Amino acid sequence: MAEIFIDNKRFEYDQPTKVLQFILDQGLDLPHFCYHPALSIPANCRQCYVEAGLPVFDREKNAYELDANGDRVIRWFPKLQTACSLDATDGMVIKTHVTSELVRRGQKDVLEFILINHPLDCPICDQAGECPLQEQTYKYGPEGSRFEHKKVHKPKRIQLGPRVVLDAERCINCTRCVRFTQEISKTHQLTIVQRGDNNYPMTAPGHVFDDPYSMNTVDICPVGALTASDFRFKARVWEMASTPSIDLTNGKGCSVDLWTRDNLVLRITPRFNPAVNGHWMPDSGRAAFATLNHDRVDKPLVRLDGEAIPTSWNNALLTFTERVTAANRIAVVGSPHASTEDNYVFKRFFEAAGKGAAVFVPHVIPGSGDGFLLSDDQAPNATGARLLGLAETQAAALAAEVTAADLVVVLNDDLVGRGVLRAEDLAGKTITFASNHNATTAAADLVVPVTNGAEHVGTYVNVDGRAQRTIPAKETSRTDRRLNLEMSSGRLDTFGTRFDNWVSDLNRIDCVPAWEFLTEASQELGTGLYYESARDVLAEIAARIDAFAGISYERMDDERGIALLATNETVSA
Amino acid sequence: MSFDWKTYQPLLIPNIPGLADIKVYEQHGGYVQYKKVLGDQTTWTPEAVTNEVKSSGLRGRGGAGFNTGLKWSFMPKPDGGPRYIAANGDESEPGTFKDRTIFEFNPHSFIEGALIAAYAMRITAVYVYIRGEYRSWIRMMEKAIADAYAAGHIGKNIHGSGFSTDMYVHSGAGAYICGEESSLMESLEGKRGYPRVKPPFPAQRGLWGRPTTINNIETLANVPLILRIGAEAYSQIGAKTHPGPLLYGISGHVNKPGVYEFPSGMPIETLIHEVCGGVKGGKKVKAVIPGGSSTPPLRGDQLAGVCMDSDSLRTAGSMLGTAGMVVMDEDTDLVDVLTRIAHFYHHESCGQCTPCREGTGWLEKTLKKIRRGDGTPRDLELLLDICTQMEGRTICALADAAAWPVRYTITRFREDFEARVKTPVHAHA
Repeated sequence: MAEIFIDNKRFEYDQPTKVLQFILDQGLDLPHFCYHPALSIPANCRQCYVEAGLPVFDREKNAYELDANGDRVIRWFPKLQTACSLDATDGMVIKTHVTSELVRRGQKDVLEFILINHPLDCPICDQAGECPLQEQTYKYGPEGSRFEHKKVHKPKRIQLGPRVVLDAERCINCTRCVRFTQEISKTHQLTIVQRGDNNYPMTAPGHVFDDPYSMNTVDICPVGALTASDFRFKARVWEMASTPSIDLTNGKGCSVDLWTRDNLVLRITPRFNPAVNGHWMPDSGRAAFATLNHDRVDKPLVRLDGEAIPTSWNNALLTFTERVTAANRIAVVGSPHASTEDNYVFKRFFEAAGKGAAVFVPHVIPGSGDGFLLSDDQAPNATGARLLGLAETQAAALAAEVTAADLVVVLNDDLVGRGVLRAEDLAGKTITFASNHNATTAAADLVVPVTNGAEHVGTYVNVDGRAQRTIPAKETSRTDRRLNLEMSSGRLDTFGTRFDNWVSDLNRIDCVPAWEFLTEASQELGTGLYYESARDVLAEIAARIDAFAGISYERMDDERGIALLATNETVSA
Repeated sequence: MSFDWKTYQPLLIPNIPGLADIKVYEQHGGYVQYKKVLGDQTTWTPEAVTNEVKSSGLRGRGGAGFNTGLKWSFMPKPDGGPRYIAANGDESEPGTFKDRTIFEFNPHSFIEGALIAAYAMRITAVYVYIRGEYRSWIRMMEKAIADAYAAGHIGKNIHGSGFSTDMYVHSGAGAYICGEESSLMESLEGKRGYPRVKPPFPAQRGLWGRPTTINNIETLANVPLILRIGAEAYSQIGAKTHPGPLLYGISGHVNKPGVYEFPSGMPIETLIHEVCGGVKGGKKVKAVIPGGSSTPPLRGDQLAGVCMDSDSLRTAGSMLGTAGMVVMDEDTDLVDVLTRIAHFYHHESCGQCTPCREGTGWLEKTLKKIRRGDGTPRDLELLLDICTQMEGRTICALADAAAWPVRYTITRFREDFEARVKTPVHAHA
């Protein structure tokens, strides 16, 4: 076990490590901009200066040389070292800003340099509030500036690609974005152009930054130089609450954070999860924020004379139970897009009613995956549906079953929109649970509005068999941030006063989780299903289905998801 | 100094008409040392050649002055993969124009030296990196290398010795930074000329991740000479700690500027007043930049006894650099000179490291303000502060090269600057 001394404290390490990463791993602070743990180390910002020294080793005595006090003689490196590029070696002595005036001075000097050509537009900059430059300037920067000249002017509001906007003046040339396109997404779409203090990142002439992972550069940009087209100027960071969740647009199920204000999801950013997505996520998953907010089914709908009419929940429940009771043969279609809890209760409901076995149609587009964070599977929970025992079926077989049935019940899956069924297959005999309006709801006789991943607790099992869960980020008409203990709370929930006029009742959708509606329906029919909460449902799943044994929300939170399958194991129906 | 410069017979650029032609070069003993080494590989093992160069005391002529043989010995053992020499002909520093004379008048001495070095380090390819502005000289080198290929000095199984190597010319694209060895490698690889973080050093991971040695053109041109006269005799030429013939590129206010070859250690005053025929118009020397614009300038009244070798110049407070000497007469305004130098480094900073990217611009803007007459005494202290914030804080030495002239011009010629800065009114109160 090798040792290293940081600010007179002894630490041990066994794996080769860079000094900066080691310091950060200990929970200590050292300012830095260009370093990112998943990228190569260019050591160009020069912010993470430390003093470093090595003990003098006497080869003849095979021992460290000692001074008069019996302390090791340290030979100090003549210059300040960048901790990011410095390999930790046994016995190394490091002084950071905590103990070294020289380091404090060096860090302050670099910040002064960075700021001389950096526009001081924090009040209108999207990065403010989550800006490493802003934070580190407060902590380590100079009090003022001695720069009394005109700043360098560079291009502003450059639409680099469909989703990313560049303000070159704010750029501090850390090259994180360039390295991301070279090392992670491997599109090589960005490079630094110009020279010296005119430097900024840019695409090759005539090319656009349409990398399917382009928005990760916005996340790793340590200033507000790169901003997202769909989020810039929408909200200040401190007005939003962030909620850990997962990407429900692809079978990979990247860990994400949902950023909400006034019950609207305003942006989606990746959440570090080494077992799934590392630091990154695809742009397509971020675009889903719009479908979480807009075009929602906001009241139960019944079709009368070909027109969808909003109706009461009571009427919806009665219509549902009547139709189910009256039907002789029901096509019960579960969904790879719905949570494990919903699929489970859905399957159980029709088993208990003695009306047929649930099936589901995987949503796979062969060849659409990229071997990185996009799989061919477009649905977040096909594996979950399989593990629950829903029978996997395909378009033709389902169409035959639908034709033979006198009632079709679809759990939140746009079967018409994605080409599995035709609208005329469903006409006149369909009930669907849906969170958004789509081609299937347009064909259904009864539409029951249900929550989406931003509104309910739900377990989703990704293509690799990893179970992860969502946490409600938005209130519905039937939930309350202060009463729903499953809901995440933001800074303002905890510290806001009534003068923080930030909570509005706007944007609440009138919907329920499908399992809740089905529980009520079961009560109505007397088929004996009763669940108080999603937790109840999950507990029953864990108790009754071997593949889910031992699963709980706490474990999923603490372990960043639970691997339900052994490596390389796949589940087939 | 008892040395009589008038009778010195040049060794690097001998006075032989048409020497750039390979036939003339071969008639005058060209490629003999190379063939000697290849022909007797039991005596001249690669290690023996390296040791010969090491003991000759030859130090790099590109500015840093590192022992050349020692640098060669850092190359790891061959593993069957490619190994490279990158010959640095990107001389771009103001005041430096010496390698050009080798390209023009004696290209084959460089080619022969590079080939001997290639043999000593088992190099598979030599890249000759020449600054893009040297269009004509690039063509000359391409012709010289083609001639050497035709004569069988380069290629496969050279002269039946079993040794093979290749040589290519690569043109720079107009960036001073590409003369820095690691950004030169990036440039050769087709990338943006950004210096690399060291370690790893080029001998471990250089071009395309393979062992690489970077040598200056003039350095390699010295190698055939070492083998011809022997390390012992070579080490006796010129200054003891920095031996060998040296190309002095002298420019500025002298009557006969140009590139002159003399042994190292020539007294500066001899070079100015005798070799170059004195200062124009018989004026006094105000300042001398001894080794390219990045080296600290010396005052005209500091020059007595100062010689052009690393020890003497260090004692005097400067550096030998590339021995590209700029002489300035008594009417020169050092504020103008320094502003121009600061502009150069601002223009040439690659912009990778923060202190250099931002510091070079700040230096230039502040100097321009002083030059306009808007400066205050506080600006002089600020300039020195900026230098402190830049020196030793970056990946490569460009920040130092930009800061040193500012620091030493201001401290050594402070009267020029004080004459230009306004004294704030309240200072008199």
